[in-house]
Amino acid sequence: MKLKKFATAGAVMAVSALTLAACGSKSSSDAQSKQVLHWTESSELPSMDLSKATDVVSFDTLNNTMEGLYRLGKDAKIEPGLAKETHVSDDGLTYTFDLRKSKWSNGDDVTAKDFVYSWQRTVDPATSSQYAYLFDGVKNAEAVMNGKMKPSALGVKADGDYKLVVTLDKKLPYFKLLMGFPSFFPQNQKVVEKSGNKYGTTSKDMVYNGPFKLTKWTGSNLSWVAQKNNNYWDKKNVKLDSISFKVNKSNSTSYNLYKTNKLDAASLSSEQAKQLKNDKEFLTRKNASTFYFQYNQTKKEFQNKKIRQALSMAINREQLVNKVLGDGSSVSKGLVSKGLAKNHGKDFADEAYVKSGVEYNKAEAKKLWAEGMKEIGQTHLDINLLSDDSDKAKDTTEFIQSSIESTLGKSVTVHAQNVPFKTRLTRSEQGNFDMVISAWGADFADPISFLDLFTSNNSQNDGEWKNAEYDKLIQASKTTDAGNTDKRWDDLVKAEKILATEQGISPLYQQSTAWMVKSKVKGIIYNSAGVNYNFKNTYIKE
Amino acid sequence: MAEEKINLQPDSFEPLAQTNEQELDSEKIAAPSLTFSQDAWRRLKKNKGAVISLFIILIMVIVSFGSTPFITHSELVKSNPEYANLPAKIPGIDINGFNGKMKVGGEWTDVYKQNGIKDNVHFVLGTDYLGHSLAQRIIYGTKISLTVAIVATLFDLLIGVTYGIVSGWKGGRTDNVMQRIIEIISSIPNLIIVVLMLIVFRPGMTSIILALAISEWTTMARMIRAETLSLKTEEYVLASRTLGQSTGKIAWKHLVPNVSSIIIIQTMYTIPSAIFFEAFLSFIGIGISAPQTSLGVLLNDGQKNFQFLPYQMWYPAIILVILMIAFNLLGDGLRDAFDPRTRR
Amino acid sequence: MKKYLLKRILYMALTLFLVATITFFLMKLMPGTPYSNQEKMTPQQIKIMNQQYGLDKPVWLQYIFYIGGMLHGDMGTSFQFSNQPVSYLISSRIGASAQLGVQAMIFGVFFGIIVGSVAAVYRNTWVDTTATIVSIIGKSVPNFVLAVLLQYYISLKLGWFPIADWGGFEYTILPTIALGVGPLAETARFIRTGMVDVLNSDYIELARAKGLNKFGIIYHHALRNSLIPLVTLIGPYTVALMTGSMVIENIFSIPGIGEQYVKSIQTNDYPTIMGVTMLFCFGLVLIILFTDIIYGIIDPRIRLNGNED
Repeated sequence: MKLKKFATAGAVMAVSALTLAACGSKSSSDAQSKQVLHWTESSELPSMDLSKATDVVSFDTLNNTMEGLYRLGKDAKIEPGLAKETHVSDDGLTYTFDLRKSKWSNGDDVTAKDFVYSWQRTVDPATSSQYAYLFDGVKNAEAVMNGKMKPSALGVKADGDYKLVVTLDKKLPYFKLLMGFPSFFPQNQKVVEKSGNKYGTTSKDMVYNGPFKLTKWTGSNLSWVAQKNNNYWDKKNVKLDSISFKVNKSNSTSYNLYKTNKLDAASLSSEQAKQLKNDKEFLTRKNASTFYFQYNQTKKEFQNKKIRQALSMAINREQLVNKVLGDGSSVSKGLVSKGLAKNHGKDFADEAYVKSGVEYNKAEAKKLWAEGMKEIGQTHLDINLLSDDSDKAKDTTEFIQSSIESTLGKSVTVHAQNVPFKTRLTRSEQGNFDMVISAWGADFADPISFLDLFTSNNSQNDGEWKNAEYDKLIQASKTTDAGNTDKRWDDLVKAEKILATEQGISPLYQQSTAWMVKSKVKGIIYNSAGVNYNFKNTYIKE
Repeated sequence: MAEEKINLQPDSFEPLAQTNEQELDSEKIAAPSLTFSQDAWRRLKKNKGAVISLFIILIMVIVSFGSTPFITHSELVKSNPEYANLPAKIPGIDINGFNGKMKVGGEWTDVYKQNGIKDNVHFVLGTDYLGHSLAQRIIYGTKISLTVAIVATLFDLLIGVTYGIVSGWKGGRTDNVMQRIIEIISSIPNLIIVVLMLIVFRPGMTSIILALAISEWTTMARMIRAETLSLKTEEYVLASRTLGQSTGKIAWKHLVPNVSSIIIIQTMYTIPSAIFFEAFLSFIGIGISAPQTSLGVLLNDGQKNFQFLPYQMWYPAIILVILMIAFNLLGDGLRDAFDPRTRR
Repeated sequence: MKKYLLKRILYMALTLFLVATITFFLMKLMPGTPYSNQEKMTPQQIKIMNQQYGLDKPVWLQYIFYIGGMLHGDMGTSFQFSNQPVSYLISSRIGASAQLGVQAMIFGVFFGIIVGSVAAVYRNTWVDTTATIVSIIGKSVPNFVLAVLLQYYISLKLGWFPIADWGGFEYTILPTIALGVGPLAETARFIRTGMVDVLNSDYIELARAKGLNKFGIIYHHALRNSLIPLVTLIGPYTVALMTGSMVIENIFSIPGIGEQYVKSIQTNDYPTIMGVTMLFCFGLVLIILFTDIIYGIIDPRIRLNGNED
């Protein structure tokens, strides 16, 4: 009897323990109803100094903790930021912004002077900003960057505390888009100067004016928290109380954490994406970045158009994106990524599409190859294919190597060279390659961001493809046709068509990243160009 | 306790009858005389584990290197993305996991059927992400891993043994300087040497081999030196020295044979650690590059997909473990065979 | 003793200097610039930035500046983390790696001693064979494979430990095991060999003859004597664990130094590469010196003088 009693007591205890445990989980779900987003990053946050930031994580974090003249909403739509009203002069060279009254997280007022200070600081060569080039087009920016003028000569002035006047050297059709990029956000001079060398190296040595303010970031740790900023001008539309960021460098780890509800999102590797593509929480996010071949056209064999065409046609891009990458990446229609820019409702990528530029055609490839080889008078080619050493780059080169060799047969041998990113860049610049898989991501949503690359003297034109007609069209789009949207559009479409027919480069695919995101997370704004994430309107709905 | 009284009879003291002259030759050794290596081989043969290991290693070497004519460059390069990521399917076997079925979302699903692959297509160990047969990859990978390990070990031997013998034999100031150099080299963490080497040279088999050889030889050199120091004072070495034998000849005739056991044992331990290190380099992305592969690369690829395609990690891991166990057991066996004192 | 120490410290300094020199020049052979956005910068800008970072000067001058800075304890500023001094980067991340390294070593040595002793006592029986095979498996499974297995089965399937992250002690358990199995195997092997030798020596025979029981003998005599050579193994191994833990850090999302090191190499972050290399090297030489001294203390047979090894 006694024993039985004891057992009952035990059972009661077990039950109460269970209830306790249940309570525990309940309180954690309370925390969830407190609107916390658990986000993952794939690398550390290296800097919060917006003049010095260079990487995606920094820019994303800056975008969510700072506020500029505008904020980019869904589909890169320009939404109001600090600019209450904007006046553009008739010649399109002067922008006057009326700023709204707002405060920094330390209580200081955000004024036009903060913008002036920030811009001047970025272009000042002494700051050594790697993104200062974005200011190209703002009056005197180039001269300042090259140390020929003082930063104060930059075409940006404060007219009182709440009026900002910007003068441009030339028309920038995408100027407003640029204003949504963190490099153009304001900085609080007092704080920058007080913190000195430590500015932007920890969450304390910073001041914020965006939807969130950063905490718990020590400069090199793997987790930080963005808390709702009560000094934000539009705080009533910020629903999240905080975002907790954790760095997970291994995709398997972040997926495991996601599965156990420790994370609300996980970015996936190719193989994970292939396995999870039918899951309802699976989604892919397009990046405005295109991967393409450059051929070293200082070499005789690659000056031959037929050889270039044959190599391009030998690659089954459908198979590459679906079977090898499998992360939602899509076959490129051309150099300019799809969804980047529209005119009269038509996508630039569709307008400039040239079928032979990116198609897979085994028979044609063989024919062109044979003809091309005859023209250059060779029977066998050894091709060094240069690329990065990331997992995806390795998979891609392996596939391409296999496609080319099996399509074109014994007369070609491809040597894959997977090297670290920076090594690849240097070797591309030095022309130390036969073919290189390069990638370009647009900084702002305009085709010129891509097409500028292949003008004859551009430093990114590593293969040194030259076409006078192409150069002329790009030049026209920047000068004579800059004010006329349609004409400028036509120039750019024509230019890209030339690039595709001539196979100056061969576009391969437009990159996407595959994600798992919990369905309870709503309202994440993602843009393919410039800054990717905007969590301002994100909320959690159980 | 009282001692037992021994009862001795006078005839106990009679000499034995001389039946055979030779039998009395007390100097005679009954067993056939064995050289050192024959003796070692005899002892090794008694060690079951070592013999089995030797066989396993031999089989692996024969299979992997024998595959060279079949797994050529063009065979390696060929990819079939439509066959990507298939599990093992062995004709005639219907055990889940070996019949083309794989656990997908907790259910055994016939992946071959799902992907619309013809019935007559079989992959004994499944395929990787590009549709390469995993069995073929593993055989090739074993070959590369073994090559890296063996060649690196040979370099290791060449440098280590020469250095050790010279240092030990010369002694004095030369020895002192040479030992300081070793000290400095072994003060640099291995990884740093390897990484720096791979930065400067092109990543690939040659640089991995070189890097391994450079960072691993110091242990060998130290052991050989210690042994040489003690051998130097042995009478037979002194004797041949007095007789005017040249240093090189002494080294070759007397020193090398006497340190050979150390060399062989050390080699057996260096090979697996080289295989291991190569696997580690693959993990940090500076290993063998495509289309070549190695056990390390395969493991690293498999590790990433373990949640969904566990077989891609298990198979190469099993092969690696078997290989490592075999080398270690053989190493132990050889050590015991050469130095019977250790086996008791 | 004093003279010996002085001599050793001199050699240490020489070693560090040589390593610094070799690393510095090798690093300069690396292709590429340290700027992460180099592809979008104009040559003019790169020139201005090179001037600012002193990269426009001849390599030998950069070298002199660097060594000069090092002597003042200044390791420069990271390129990857803008404005972050390398000394801060290292100090903020060495903690986790050191903790893991030491824990893994303690785990490995402790269980290694147990496995090794048991194998030695029951030598040439199935217990011995099993212990040997288990320790070889431990040694031959790469730790990244082990880490993935532990994370998947222990954390995800059984939910016993956190999957990843760095918080309290429970976060360190799986990484410690993944990292500690290697030293465990090594120690077990070492202990077994040493103990078999000791168990066969005369004084053990005597102890046995005196009627001491098996485990008493092991504890009082055999273990102590076979532990001595282990001392030389532990120090360098701990440093190696700290440098080599990048794999584990990566899988378990641990803010350690190993991972940072590989990344700094991939991004040409020169000052960080130098800083971490020197740190590891310094750790290793220091530990080698300490073990030699400790060795001399616990084993009086070894005399500490500079002439003999």
